[in-house]
Amino acid sequence: MRKVWAVIRREFVERVRTKWFWISAILGPVLMGGIIVFQIMQSVGGAERHIAVVDSTSADYGTRVVESLGGSKLIRATRVPAGPGVIDSLTRLVEAKQLNGFLIISNQLTETGKAEYRASNLSMQTIEELQRALNRLLVKVRLEERGVNPAVVEYAQSLRVTLDQQKIARGQTTRESAGQSFLMAYVIAILLFMAILLYGVNVMSSVLEEKRDRIVEVLVSSLRPFQLMLGKVFGAGAVSFFQFLIWGVSARVLISMRAPIARALGAPEAAAQELQLPHIPFAMLAVFMAFFLGGFLLYSAMFAAVGAMSSNEQEARQAQQPVTYLLMISYLSIIGLTNDPSSAFAKTLSVVPFTSPIATPVRWSAGNMGTGELAISLAMLALAIVGVTWVAARIYRVGILMTGKRPTMKELVRWVRTA
Amino acid sequence: MSDPVVVDRVTKRFAGHTAVDALSLSVPSGLIYGLLGPNGAGKTTTIRMIMDIYEPDEGSVRLFNDVAGGRTHSARIGYLPEERGLYPKMRVVDVLTFLAETKGVARKTARAKALEWLDRLGLGDWRLRKVSDLSKGMQQKVQFISAVLHDPDLVVLDEPFSALDPVNRQVLLDTVIDFRRSGKTVLFSTHIMEHAEQLCDRLCIIARGKKLVDGTLADVKRTHGGKHVVIEFDGNQGDARQIFADRRLVAKLHDFGQHAELELAESADAQEILRALVSSGARLSRFELASPSLHKIFVDLVGPDAATAAANPAGGREREPAGA
Repeated sequence: MRKVWAVIRREFVERVRTKWFWISAILGPVLMGGIIVFQIMQSVGGAERHIAVVDSTSADYGTRVVESLGGSKLIRATRVPAGPGVIDSLTRLVEAKQLNGFLIISNQLTETGKAEYRASNLSMQTIEELQRALNRLLVKVRLEERGVNPAVVEYAQSLRVTLDQQKIARGQTTRESAGQSFLMAYVIAILLFMAILLYGVNVMSSVLEEKRDRIVEVLVSSLRPFQLMLGKVFGAGAVSFFQFLIWGVSARVLISMRAPIARALGAPEAAAQELQLPHIPFAMLAVFMAFFLGGFLLYSAMFAAVGAMSSNEQEARQAQQPVTYLLMISYLSIIGLTNDPSSAFAKTLSVVPFTSPIATPVRWSAGNMGTGELAISLAMLALAIVGVTWVAARIYRVGILMTGKRPTMKELVRWVRTA
Repeated sequence: MSDPVVVDRVTKRFAGHTAVDALSLSVPSGLIYGLLGPNGAGKTTTIRMIMDIYEPDEGSVRLFNDVAGGRTHSARIGYLPEERGLYPKMRVVDVLTFLAETKGVARKTARAKALEWLDRLGLGDWRLRKVSDLSKGMQQKVQFISAVLHDPDLVVLDEPFSALDPVNRQVLLDTVIDFRRSGKTVLFSTHIMEHAEQLCDRLCIIARGKKLVDGTLADVKRTHGGKHVVIEFDGNQGDARQIFADRRLVAKLHDFGQHAELELAESADAQEILRALVSSGARLSRFELASPSLHKIFVDLVGPDAATAAANPAGGREREPAGA
């Protein structure tokens, strides 16, 4: 065990020492920080949106629109009476970035509900707010036309519905929107896929390096090949856990610093609060980690065998294709999985060990999976890990000392049988 | 105590050709044993079987009187493989520490020993450099250190002196001789007879996977290759020419005037020639019984045909262990 530990430590220390490890360790938080800043900037950008309301209505609806927009934090509106050349000069102002855009309303508004908005940037938030203001005005005007008391209209419009979205999953109700849970499942799937592929390939190239640089002969004179393979797999696994840890901690720190970041960018703190994070329960984290570990063990054993049977990078790249395709199946199913996590397709994927490391956490996070199903999925994965590792270790044992051409399928079978 | 390495009629076949054929040898404790043979004779295959990297198809290997194999005893065995390899991107001292750890040495001890050895072999300044920064000869010395760092009882060295300049070769030769002094057993292979002659207490010459001869260096020299005498005169040569012409005494003569080399006849005794020369009035400044060089014995024994390995009928050189 001490020998395996030495292999794990070497694998870990040497990998963490490379500049690539730190580049990706730093790139993760930088990307996250970028996303946060971008989101804050987006909401800040809308805080001071100056627009003009070009009014050609006979009833001076323009003033009422400006009034109704008065309560908006996003839009500062000014009424401009319509006239010849007004549109052109406003267009020039927009081009000169002195104005964000302008709204054109005419008598058509109350007849057909049509209005026009021209702007340099058609942001969703601005448009939604304008539409809401115009809608309210339209309803008010039309009701008044039919003799409804303006005070009654005012009363009717004074309240807005807020729909509190809650999700029922496994007998628990959580405050989480549909968009959030979809996004969450999607992010989990992508993370798992990338991590398994990246670190699996790391195991492969590490095996290949030892074989190519002729180190393996000394190693197998003091270590059993299985010990060596175990050390490699766990060493590379520890590196990826470390990477995740760096990302996780820096994400937490960045998110806790949303408010200071927002202040530094001159945005109201409310802008930072809009950046909601889905709540991650402990059970989900555990499932995620268990299946990441399982998937990693399963695939890196296969990648180790691929490294052992190849004698150079080109050969390895070819030989790894079947393994990569196996992993690609789950990747390509991500959209299908997240759209309908309770379909028969999704259920199948979460039972098959080669796809379950990605499919099961996705289904679990979407709340469409019971503990029974989870247990079956985990048991299947464990079984597959034992079986695949057994076969891979045999290929590895023979392969690491072999040079020359790559073995054929027939030879591989012989290796597994005789090793 | 039985010998630390006993190889009993081992045979190893690779796709169609027999690399080692019913080879037996025994390496006694506390001396330097040379495994000699031309390229492709099966030296490396034999060593790999001893090291438990290949499993013999037939026969058995016992290390320290145990059939469990080299891996079980790895803490007591140091191994320098023929195909050298170190992690090129690791620092010298880290590689050495790691390799010693795989043999069960504690990390701290391994590191201290590594630094000690690096200083001893003149690589102290390179300890924090990457392996890939080192010259080939330096890398070989590092690899040599990795084989002996954990203070093994048995050191197995496959072609330890190839690719080294004379100065570094001497450093390693001295180190190996030190091992013998401290009671270690050294088994090494070479096809360079001068190295074997300088080092070996016992040796075994193999060709085409078979043993041709084994025994102590002196035994091998006595039984293979004739008796030689080198003579130098100091002025008066007496009746030397007449004595040299006696076919009962001298089989072959190389006469250089003041200096002559004789190969004695089968039944002749060197002392008889010395007596004859002295009594004939010759003045001698040198009379030396010279043994033939190992090189000459090797070439005579192996012969020009066995100097090349049998071609593999399956084509190509393929290494393939049947599994360990």
